[in-house]
Amino acid sequence: MDLNRILLERFGYESFRPGQEEVIRHLLDKRDTIAILPTGMGKSLCYQLPGSVLEGSVLIISPLVSLMEDQAMRMRQNGEKRVVALNSFLPYSERQRIMGQLQNYKFIFISPEMLSQEAFSRKLNRIRLSLVVIDEAHCISQWGFDFRPDYLRIGDFLKLKGRPPLLALTATADEKVLNDIQHYFKMEKPIVQRHSLDRPNISYSIVEVHSSQEKTAWIKERVAQTVGPGIIYASSRKRADELAIELQLEGIAVQSYHAGKEQDDRSIIQEQFLMGDLEWICATNAFGMGVHKDDIRQVIHDHLPPTIAAYIQEVGRAGRDGQPAAASLLYMPTDEQTSSFIIQSDMPREEEIRHYHRMIGEGHSPGSASELASLTETGKRVLDYYMEHYSLEEILLKFHRLSTEKNEQLRQMVQLVTGGLCIRQRALSYFGEMGGTKPVECCSICGLETVKWLYEKSIKPSAAEKFSWDERITNLLG
Amino acid sequence: MNLSSILLFVISKMNGQRTLNAGLHLLRGKKSGQTLTDVEYFNVKPFFAILPKLEESTYSQAIDELLDSGLIIQDEKFIKLTEEGSKRVEELPEFHFRGWDYRGREMIFFGRIALLVQTLSFLREGEFSFNPIQKDRDIQIFVKRLLERQPLTDPGFAKRIGDELKMALLKSGMSEIQKYIFACRLTGSTATAKTWDQLAAELGGGTDALRLQFIECLHRLLPIVEDSDEFPFLGKVAFGIKVNSYLTDSAMHTKRLFDQGHSMASIATIRKLKMSTIEDHVIEMAMNDKRFPVTHFVSEELIQAVVSKSQELGTKRLKLLKDEFDTLSYFELRLIMTACKEVDN
Ligand SMILES: Nc1ncnc2c1ncn2[C@@H]1O[C@H](COP(=O)(O)OP(=O)(O)OP(=O)(O)O)[C@@H](O)[C@H]1O
Ligand SMILES: [Zn+2]
Repeated sequence: MDLNRILLERFGYESFRPGQEEVIRHLLDKRDTIAILPTGMGKSLCYQLPGSVLEGSVLIISPLVSLMEDQAMRMRQNGEKRVVALNSFLPYSERQRIMGQLQNYKFIFISPEMLSQEAFSRKLNRIRLSLVVIDEAHCISQWGFDFRPDYLRIGDFLKLKGRPPLLALTATADEKVLNDIQHYFKMEKPIVQRHSLDRPNISYSIVEVHSSQEKTAWIKERVAQTVGPGIIYASSRKRADELAIELQLEGIAVQSYHAGKEQDDRSIIQEQFLMGDLEWICATNAFGMGVHKDDIRQVIHDHLPPTIAAYIQEVGRAGRDGQPAAASLLYMPTDEQTSSFIIQSDMPREEEIRHYHRMIGEGHSPGSASELASLTETGKRVLDYYMEHYSLEEILLKFHRLSTEKNEQLRQMVQLVTGGLCIRQRALSYFGEMGGTKPVECCSICGLETVKWLYEKSIKPSAAEKFSWDERITNLLG
Repeated sequence: MNLSSILLFVISKMNGQRTLNAGLHLLRGKKSGQTLTDVEYFNVKPFFAILPKLEESTYSQAIDELLDSGLIIQDEKFIKLTEEGSKRVEELPEFHFRGWDYRGREMIFFGRIALLVQTLSFLREGEFSFNPIQKDRDIQIFVKRLLERQPLTDPGFAKRIGDELKMALLKSGMSEIQKYIFACRLTGSTATAKTWDQLAAELGGGTDALRLQFIECLHRLLPIVEDSDEFPFLGKVAFGIKVNSYLTDSAMHTKRLFDQGHSMASIATIRKLKMSTIEDHVIEMAMNDKRFPVTHFVSEELIQAVVSKSQELGTKRLKLLKDEFDTLSYFELRLIMTACKEVDN
């Protein structure tokens, strides 16, 4: 099959990005495939292209409702109208309507809990599926806090005889997670297609300081002198707000973004950033998923991310257009403690686990019991699943291991920052990759002398024209 | 207008007869018997549920401001106006909230408008791809249905909607600043909305005060466009926003059983609810139905006696009335005070 022609004619792309063609070929050969591709590399094409040439519908299982709606929407925007996103938040009548004509959709996005709805799975069994895709497949792994017990039900569903090939997509996966994916999704001799996580156009710098005042000062100076658009990641809402205010005082077009802001304002800030009204965003890790802005030039970390994977993912939001981009991480020795504290406060402690276990045993509802045991939402989700399957002692052991694991991941992150070795190569080796060629602008360890582009700041005229209320409406609607 | 000024007004209505938290419950729209009764007793329906997510700390702060500036005092547990406070109440601007009718749902109305305007703004430019500014699925589906079979890409259509919107804003009688806030919360292909922080920086004042302005602005706009021939399209956008049954769902259920002839005790058994909950429902029913048969519960003479005593003492405080009518339960007293509000006005 001439895949390049199909790529051009149906999708308008000249050539495949690395990894895409291989994945597509495996699927057309009806092989189960695990694809590990960095975010933004075009994962969706890996199922869209096969979907459009094979007969039948593609089922895509996605863990986050917002993410899947975003994806379905982007497909519609790109001209594929036979797309639908089904989840249990849809009003009943809407769901019925969609189910009635399920076979007419080429791409069906669902959240995993839909599979446990009798009516839906019956319907699904009657239509022809050409491919089943599991997005963010690492959510199956009990080792991560992304763990979604709902994903385990996918395994049951996939027991079907003569099922279509399975594509598991993920951006991060170490050996352990890879094994879980294979095992729980009952994949048959899957082919693992890995693509390097290296992003040669991104340069990495570590900046050592001694206090958070010094961090603030560095950021102020940096933002004043270098190009945007950029994202500054902070560890807390409070710090994100604080930095935004400091920068606003310098006349920078910047806003903070975090889960403490009302939903409408969050959408507005995102839109302003996309449209270029804002040059910088000071955010917690709540910002980024589903944000598709290609020309982000800088990502600055004001804190130490909990894992190398999280760090690489956040940094990876820069330079999607392929142009040079810079990642800077500000580090002071007490950061390790701060991050460790944040990580551990998200984990249920032994007393809390025992307390919760006892209360469930005494017949309290999970909701009130988790509140009484002061569990976080993630903590509760994982704990609930464990309690269905394991004894209390086993659970405690598992959490103990999980906690050790988290500390180990943080330690590796600290190593990356303080180890004095090439940051790029160390990060890649964490994912089991051997370093290839280093770009000229590699990292602060290898030396960064030539980053001229960073300082080529054009002065934007401030478009602070003020409109009256009716002029504004006329502007929008004519 | 800010939270303190609204509270000052509310306190002037409940003068000396309610504790600190009554105002909080009112503004949050708590659906408990006590709050619902208060709403009726004290004529504060417009303020019911105008701030469903009001934080306790924000509320206390506003109360402290009033206490510190000597406009109110706390007398035992009750809050009342000082002389200075009473004077200040006279100077307050007129409020135009309609909380009882909308109960926070005005935000759904605005969400629909925002998405509608954004959609038309992009389509009139021939741009079919944009990020919906409203993430709420129900709002997205509503707008999608609304726009089915409309001439979406016709710039004339967008302009007609724009003109309708401008007309309605003008006719609503809202202030200039409110119209400006409204327009600044709209997003489209040529301009993006401003956040509350940005508006506060531009206009001065706090974000909370601006939000209140915005809520009042929507409460003024809605009645203008509801069922109006003049604003056919906006009328559709407002569909289902106004509360159509003033009873809570649970009270509705109780009412059905009551209408079938069940006693309160029997309703409590059938519904496996506490008697006090059923009592709250009955109060709610009485409040929303002028012809509610109060005499099912208390005799006509007693009703008259309680009402005249309340007038004589100049109080609606149940505790004081209970001292006078020891044979009546608190529930019966509340029922009388609720049902006979007319008499007292
Ligand atoms: N072969 C290609 N050539 C050029 N552009 C491509 C190609 N494949 C995909 N793209 C573009 O790359 C962008 C990212 O693709 P996609 O949305 O599939 O990313 P993703 O890997 O799913 O990212 P995320 O993990 O952030 O959702 C899209 O704008 C898409 O149009
Ligand atoms: Zn290097």
